[in-house]
Amino acid sequence: MSSITLENIRKSYGRSGPAAIANLSMEIGASEFLCLLGPSGCGKTTTLRMIAGLEHPTDGRILVDGKPIVSVADGIFTVPEKRNMGLVFQNYALWPHMTIRDNVAFGLTLRKTPDAERDAIVNQVMTKLGIAKYADRYPAQLSGGQQQRVALARMLALKPSVILLDEPLSNLDAKLRLEMRAELKRIHAEAGSTIVFVTHDQWEAMTLATTIAVMSEGELQQVGTPDDIYERPANRFVAEFVGSLPINIINRGAVETGPLVAWLDQVLTHFDIDAAPVASAGIRPEATRLGRLSEDEAARCAAGYGSVVDVVPTGGSWIVEIDVQRTRFFAIATENPRLSAGDTTHFWVERQHLHLFDREKQRIAL
Amino acid sequence: MRKDKNINRSDAMTLQTDSSEDTQRPQPATKRLSYLLRVNSADPTLMLALLLLVVFGYLILAPVVLLLIDAVTVHFADIARTKQDLGDLTFYYLNRVLVSPISRDLFWWPLAHTAIISVAAIVISFLVGAPIGWLLSRTDLIGKKWFSTALLLPYMLPSWTFALAWLTLFKNRTTGGQPGWMETFGFNPPDWLAYGALPISLILALHYAPFVILLFGNALKQFDTQLEDSARSLGASPATVARRIILPLMMPSLVSAATLIFAKCLGDFGVAYVLGAPVGFDVLATSLFRAISTSQAGASAVLAGVIVLLGTISIIIDMRLLKEAKRFVTIGSKGAMVRQTPLGKWQAPAFAWALLVFIISAGIPLLALTLTTVMRVPGSFSLDNFTLDYWIGTDLGTTALRQGILLTGEFWLALWNTVWMVGLAAIGAGVLGLLVGYAVVRSPFASVSVALRQITFLPYLVPGIAFAAAYLSMFAVARPPLPALYGTPIILVLAILADQMPFASRAGISSMMQLGREPEEAGQIVGAGWFRRMRSIVLPIQRNALVSAILLPFISGIKGLSLVVVLAVPGTDLLTTYAIRLVDYGYSQAANAVVVMLCVVAFTGTMLVQKIGKANLSDGMGSK
Ligand SMILES: Nc1ncnc2c1ncn2[C@@H]1O[C@H](COP(=O)(O)OP(=O)(O)OP(=O)(O)O)[C@@H](O)[C@H]1O
Ligand SMILES: [Mg+2]
Repeated sequence: MSSITLENIRKSYGRSGPAAIANLSMEIGASEFLCLLGPSGCGKTTTLRMIAGLEHPTDGRILVDGKPIVSVADGIFTVPEKRNMGLVFQNYALWPHMTIRDNVAFGLTLRKTPDAERDAIVNQVMTKLGIAKYADRYPAQLSGGQQQRVALARMLALKPSVILLDEPLSNLDAKLRLEMRAELKRIHAEAGSTIVFVTHDQWEAMTLATTIAVMSEGELQQVGTPDDIYERPANRFVAEFVGSLPINIINRGAVETGPLVAWLDQVLTHFDIDAAPVASAGIRPEATRLGRLSEDEAARCAAGYGSVVDVVPTGGSWIVEIDVQRTRFFAIATENPRLSAGDTTHFWVERQHLHLFDREKQRIAL
Repeated sequence: MRKDKNINRSDAMTLQTDSSEDTQRPQPATKRLSYLLRVNSADPTLMLALLLLVVFGYLILAPVVLLLIDAVTVHFADIARTKQDLGDLTFYYLNRVLVSPISRDLFWWPLAHTAIISVAAIVISFLVGAPIGWLLSRTDLIGKKWFSTALLLPYMLPSWTFALAWLTLFKNRTTGGQPGWMETFGFNPPDWLAYGALPISLILALHYAPFVILLFGNALKQFDTQLEDSARSLGASPATVARRIILPLMMPSLVSAATLIFAKCLGDFGVAYVLGAPVGFDVLATSLFRAISTSQAGASAVLAGVIVLLGTISIIIDMRLLKEAKRFVTIGSKGAMVRQTPLGKWQAPAFAWALLVFIISAGIPLLALTLTTVMRVPGSFSLDNFTLDYWIGTDLGTTALRQGILLTGEFWLALWNTVWMVGLAAIGAGVLGLLVGYAVVRSPFASVSVALRQITFLPYLVPGIAFAAAYLSMFAVARPPLPALYGTPIILVLAILADQMPFASRAGISSMMQLGREPEEAGQIVGAGWFRRMRSIVLPIQRNALVSAILLPFISGIKGLSLVVVLAVPGTDLLTTYAIRLVDYGYSQAANAVVVMLCVVAFTGTMLVQKIGKANLSDGMGSK
């Protein structure tokens, strides 16, 4: 239930190494469920560990509820032991020499919680997470999913004001993943804790988060609700990173004037959009409409056309690969498109599904 | 270019637009320093590393450096002779040891003897060990499992025990005291058989043959039989295969075993002392001992320096080769297939050979030692000759030791000393080793890690007797904060501890590497401070590693003679030095009884460590 503010955080490993995080500023509101999303090596773990105190920023400030816990310029650094944050490690980091019960109880013992109260809390947490029956086993005797729940229990027993999770679901099978996601949502709803969740799985981020922060190479790309991120990507990176199938990108480069560019220009004119600042456009496969239109209709909705290369059923939807004079365009149909290789098809897009970017690859608002 | 302007603002979250003056605001250096201090004060690893560096600088580096300085500066006793002032740079000692008329007896002959016995020991141990290494790793030899422990037995026991056993069997009237078995049987062994180069080489060879068995055997195990097969299918004869393929691939392990044996022979004091002294056969180690016991500090420093130099060279060669060998291992171990050669009609001779080696290298010596302790006249098997007097008798007719050793105060004192001094040193080494491991793996500065690792490894390059000499240089006088330590138990404890650090710190480093930092960070997150994390998380997880890092040094410390023989005085006798004192007096039975007790302790200890797991004997080989 605490808000966290990062101000101008820079982090470089080693004395003169390149910065893993160049200059990061963001605010995480109290009771928010924030997902840090980004490709491997973009600095998600580093950010999380700096919030927890396991790494120290080279520069900048971190505030919790407005009070600095780290401030390089003022010589402030609160040690992790004193931050009252819960962290679940990607590999759980359970203590192999302690039973499950002791693992969960250790933090409370450190806080000198009275025995009776401690046991009550430990039992309650273990029951809630369904690990009570393993209380006297050692971590090595549990499956990955069970260990994961122990790691969660260990963290929850201390009722931390901030919960930090580093890809906690990545080692689980699909079913367990669903269960744990539900568990996390419940924890968030019940305790109202501030949660920062690291993942490079956008689907996980979309379904869990109240807010998503997309990172790339140590820089923040966009912060917003899942809908914001998906529907209004702030730049090309976000547009390309988010989405189940890669977004179709059409470059209006000076050199490249292929058939798709011609179509794009036609679309822009059709929607009455000034084409001058548009350097590229993105169209999500799932936002692409398909079908055979009469010439009239095609003109009315500014449709392009191409020949179908392949139709891949994916259970409930169909990925259609279209060849537009040797450039590829992908579409997803939610109803069986009844197309087969060699067929000619039209495709068109609605105005709100058109993502336009300028020369700096930033979004052009419509 | 700032990215901020690209960022969407949403209701839930606002982004601080970082104004450029924010980052350009000059940060006072003192604040930044205090920030770094605060960060590091939360984590005393660096402090720990620096502290350990100071401690081992004092306990390891300083003695060795002082020793080297001692070799080239004027000592008090020699002011008149050198006509120089105390502490001046001088070549007097170098000259005396290496060039002067007495250099032949002091250095050159001992050097030649050392070379002869080392080479002989290496050759013999290869002849004995290599076939056995092959039998144990690549054939269906009957009783293989038993042999692989039994044949390593000589290495588990102190080398000079076998010298004592030899003496028990072959001694003649050149030394006084009780007769040897051969004498009792009516055969008077000539000096060349009883003492000197022959028995010394033989005993060192048998003692270090386990090196060859293990190293050669392991290399053979990792060696892919498919390579052999493919060569043979190309038409190469077995002899060609052995010469052109197996031998080159085995070379690193063979040379490695040879250099290790050389390094060990160089520092081995006990065997040469027991069997060489009666006929004035000196090796470098005994010559050094003589120089020390006649208070020739300068000369002993030079001798010790030479031993250190030779030891260092051989270990460096060995390490080079081990790296080489690792490369071969990775080549070979990829899908390596080890085929067991059926021995067929050779089974019986092979078995007989292995058994013979066991009987000669362990069976007979141990039996002779043990039997002697219950015989009035060694080697006489008439019934009335057997007695328990040497263990529990009273009013024996001897001048000094008038009762059995179990009734002798000095024995119990020596046993107690051994247990507490070596025990304390081993615990210290084990714990410090783990801390060194922690500091090396976690230190934020690579240079500190490297320095710490190399300092704790240094004693490995310094053979025991030279290390003892170094300790004399260091602690014979007061070195603040410590007073003069010679004659106190402290110098023994410190020397044994320091001497065991190479093994202890390596064990610590490797187990800390395996631990990773997460378990500790998880403790940090739930609120455990550094000491609490050490106590409740790091040490308990490393319990097994710690146990073997204490037990292995303990065992090798119990057996060790070279190091302590220089540093112990009658009041601080350990079992080893006490046994040697008894040998000097000519009390064979009593000395043997002490040695038997020592063997029992060392053997049970080794077995215990192997049971506890992880650590095995080949790990222990790294330790001295
Ligand atoms: N201890 C370290 N020393 C040096 N560089 C590091 C260290 N830890 C991380 N880095 C570097 O910092 C950058 C960010 O790493 P980080 O672990 O934060 O990535 P991540 O976003 O969590 O990636 P992943 O999704 O693969 O876990 C990477 O380039 C990485 O190589
Ligand atoms: Mg990560």
